[in-house]
Amino acid sequence: MKYVLIRLLRSVLTLVIVVTVVFLLMRMMPIEGYFGASFDKLDEAQKTAKLENLGLLDPWYIQLKNFYNDLIKGDFGESITYRPKVAITKILGEKLITSLRFGMASLGISLVVGLSLGVLMARYKGKFWDKLGTCYVVGANAVPVVIYYLLIQVFFTQIFNLPLLYDKTDPKSWILPVFCLSLVNIAYYAMWIRRYMVDELNKDYVRLARAKGLKNKEIMIRHVMRNAFVPMAQYLPASILYTVSGSIYVESLFSIPGTGGLLVTAIQRQDNTLVQALVLLYSSIGIIGLMLGDILMATFDPRIKLGNEGGSR
Amino acid sequence: MTSKKIINNMADNIDPSLFEFADYDQSKGELTGYSNYSFWRSTVQVFMKNKVAVALLVLIACVVLFTLVQPYLPGQKSPTQIYNNPETNLQFRNVQPNNEFWFGTNSIGQDLWARIWSGTRTSLFIGVAVGLFEAVVGITIGALWGYVRKLDAIITEIYNVWDNIPTTVVLIILTYIMKPSIPTIIFAMCMTGWLQMARFVRNLIIIIRDREYNLASRCLGTPTSRIITKNLLPYLVSVIMLRMALAIPAAIGNEVFLSYIGMGLPVDIPSLGNLINEGRALMMDPSQRYQLFFPAAVISVVTISFYVIGNVFADSADPRNHV
Amino acid sequence: MAQKTIEEIINSEVILSVEDLVIKFNLRGKELTAIRGASLDLHKGESLAIVGESGSGKSVFNKSFMGLLDANGRIESGSIIYKGQDLSKYKTEDEWIKIRGKEIAMVFQDPMTSLNPLKTVGKQVQESIELHQNLKGEEAKKLAIEILNDVGITEPERRYKQYPHEFSGGMRQRVVIAIAVACNPNILICDEPTTALDVTIQAQILQLLKNLQDKYDLTIIYITHDLGVVANVADRIAVMYAGDIIELGSSEEVFFDPKHPYTWALLSSLPQLGIKGEALYSIKGTPPNLFKEIKGDAFAPRNPHALKIDFVERPPYFEVSPTHKARTWLLDSRSPKVEPPLLIKKMQEMGAKRGDIID
Repeated sequence: MKYVLIRLLRSVLTLVIVVTVVFLLMRMMPIEGYFGASFDKLDEAQKTAKLENLGLLDPWYIQLKNFYNDLIKGDFGESITYRPKVAITKILGEKLITSLRFGMASLGISLVVGLSLGVLMARYKGKFWDKLGTCYVVGANAVPVVIYYLLIQVFFTQIFNLPLLYDKTDPKSWILPVFCLSLVNIAYYAMWIRRYMVDELNKDYVRLARAKGLKNKEIMIRHVMRNAFVPMAQYLPASILYTVSGSIYVESLFSIPGTGGLLVTAIQRQDNTLVQALVLLYSSIGIIGLMLGDILMATFDPRIKLGNEGGSR
Repeated sequence: MTSKKIINNMADNIDPSLFEFADYDQSKGELTGYSNYSFWRSTVQVFMKNKVAVALLVLIACVVLFTLVQPYLPGQKSPTQIYNNPETNLQFRNVQPNNEFWFGTNSIGQDLWARIWSGTRTSLFIGVAVGLFEAVVGITIGALWGYVRKLDAIITEIYNVWDNIPTTVVLIILTYIMKPSIPTIIFAMCMTGWLQMARFVRNLIIIIRDREYNLASRCLGTPTSRIITKNLLPYLVSVIMLRMALAIPAAIGNEVFLSYIGMGLPVDIPSLGNLINEGRALMMDPSQRYQLFFPAAVISVVTISFYVIGNVFADSADPRNHV
Repeated sequence: MAQKTIEEIINSEVILSVEDLVIKFNLRGKELTAIRGASLDLHKGESLAIVGESGSGKSVFNKSFMGLLDANGRIESGSIIYKGQDLSKYKTEDEWIKIRGKEIAMVFQDPMTSLNPLKTVGKQVQESIELHQNLKGEEAKKLAIEILNDVGITEPERRYKQYPHEFSGGMRQRVVIAIAVACNPNILICDEPTTALDVTIQAQILQLLKNLQDKYDLTIIYITHDLGVVANVADRIAVMYAGDIIELGSSEEVFFDPKHPYTWALLSSLPQLGIKGEALYSIKGTPPNLFKEIKGDAFAPRNPHALKIDFVERPPYFEVSPTHKARTWLLDSRSPKVEPPLLIKKMQEMGAKRGDIID
């Protein structure tokens, strides 16, 4: 318990440093971003007035302090340029949920399909299914995914007569985005479960299990699969949480109003509060996810006791 | 004990002269052993057994060679020049592939064939540069991180912070602060890429660091630098080669991504990312899809080749596979 | 505990009979002959030790009885007769399942890795019972606890629920033995059962195996390179070299009256027999390359007393006594007399004295 507390404290410290570093990085950007298209039309005085108005002429530490002050009150502040004067929580709220829905749908499919594929590949290692699966994994990992997305958008809309863009009212418009999102995730889960299972299969206890008369199938189900899932479990919570961050490619290609492109836009428009809020969100997700993962793994694996792993991250 | 019985009497009629002592030659006893093992020969042997990887290696070697010599071949067009139709004096816009323009032209009349090879050159250069930088920085930091205990806590903290900043943020902010150019993109990718390499190297080093032979080396007073380079690094060859080989497809992917969000190289520099972007703009017109397909095909060939070669080589360099 | 006499053993029924077994492996595109026509009869209730240096094929030999050869290995010719069935003809898993555990069980070398780290010790023993003894649930659990008790694990009820990492090496080996015994097999193969353990634990484990042999009516094959282990437990000894059994006899015979030059060399290199102040004997050279076809006696190139025929013709078995045979031309009546090394002579004298006392 003490270990969890210390770990939590360190995580908060890491978060503060991360947010501060990103804040400082943002301050290094040229000021054009604050004005967008109107940059060339305004004179110096107007620009200064606008910057002052936005609170951007305060020294950086004051800005940072304001940000943290509000944060402690649970207030993420207001957007500066993206949707001026609109509360960040309001901007994020709907988008997060949209991304989460797509993410969870794809994660569910990916886990089921990916894990089955990986188990199949490990079971028939070196045989046809394994080779086919490996081709898929290599293709999905090596080639920039956007190429697949574009091809899917070009051809699948025609072949299967599916809508090109996302439409809230049309459930069919979910199919292609979820398919795209799952494409890479399936490969990811298949690859890792296969790798872990092959590792397990080479272990001595499998030899003993075989020697005591278990069938290969029983060894797979009773011993190998369970043991191979444990290392996967470590990354599961983070994967679930990360679904809220959306996918830039998929959301922009299918014009889904999610969080995917928000970070890029926020940086381009130099919406400091929004960027900070997003970075804070994503970093906390990473940290919390890893912690949950460790706890999950400790419940599966009796050898791991939280507290004596000695900072082996 | 006088009546020794031959259980198997197949050998009754043997020349009695054979029952004499043979000359004993100790080296003959050694000869029969099977210790003609060589790490690199076995690595090459195992690699060569994978026909797919060998084929891809040949293929990628040809592609790389071709991108290097292509501009000097006769009859090649410039990747950036806009070509006009001498009859109408209009630009050759979106011309389908033909004898003149092998891969057709783009929307402003540039030769796609030349642009693709120029773009491949650019992207490969970025990839190789990032890969090399990652290797040098990643190995150096990883080795220090893993080997020098005093530095462990500090570097771990730096790693935790840096790793928690989303890669996108770093990439975008850095390309924003510095003006878009090839060096900028390389720099931005290097700033995020070395982390993984460093962590891999560190983890491996921690595993091998306390093995007995290293302990022995330390006891004998071998300097740290020598232990790292002579005892540890050879173990890392397979991992390092893998990371470097994977850095190239990753860098190409990142370049495509940055171009996609409009923060890549300036549009007047042909790169695979820019070409994909140009192709994307026209992809809904079936007659113009060649502008997407050609660069997409080249990207696929290059990235898959490096990915497969890297993986197969890493497997081959793993002594456990040298059976 | 009444030690069986050698006569009792060779007069008891043969439960496993291996004839001219040849096992080949495909390695690096080449063919390796790991077992070169080895033959062996295993008698019910005996303890047979198979000794040999690493790479002599002793593990491969035994794995072939259970269909546990690696995927690149195969039985080329010969037969393994068990209960009227030729195991060497078995191909499918369904066939082997009837043998593994139920008839022949195995204890592996390294107890640290032989157990599934994520399952409780009790469940792993219980799995064997449920597989082979037609018991389920509570009954199986009860028997599992009983067997854990039999292998010398104190507080078996509490230990039943613990995981392997909570056990020491010696304790884990007891669990591995419990798993094998819980299958209720006829034959137990122990592949280097004590090599990974402390010397003090070794003796306990060997004693345990002896006790279990009586209680569960087991025939045990010990695979080992440690002649110390052999001396303690084995009724008979088979010496393996380069994939062949080159000498087979009762423990007494092999220790005190060895015939094959390799057995001489092996015994001479026992540290226990070394003379203080003198360099310990070691066998010169390396075992032969099994990728190549071996002509004559495999040990000949390393044998200072090799005959010319050793390089030409493979020696047949020569029977020394009804229980003792060896594969060396030195036993042929046409061969010149070769004196065994000094140490072996001393052993022979010791043996003779022992014989006097026993008689």
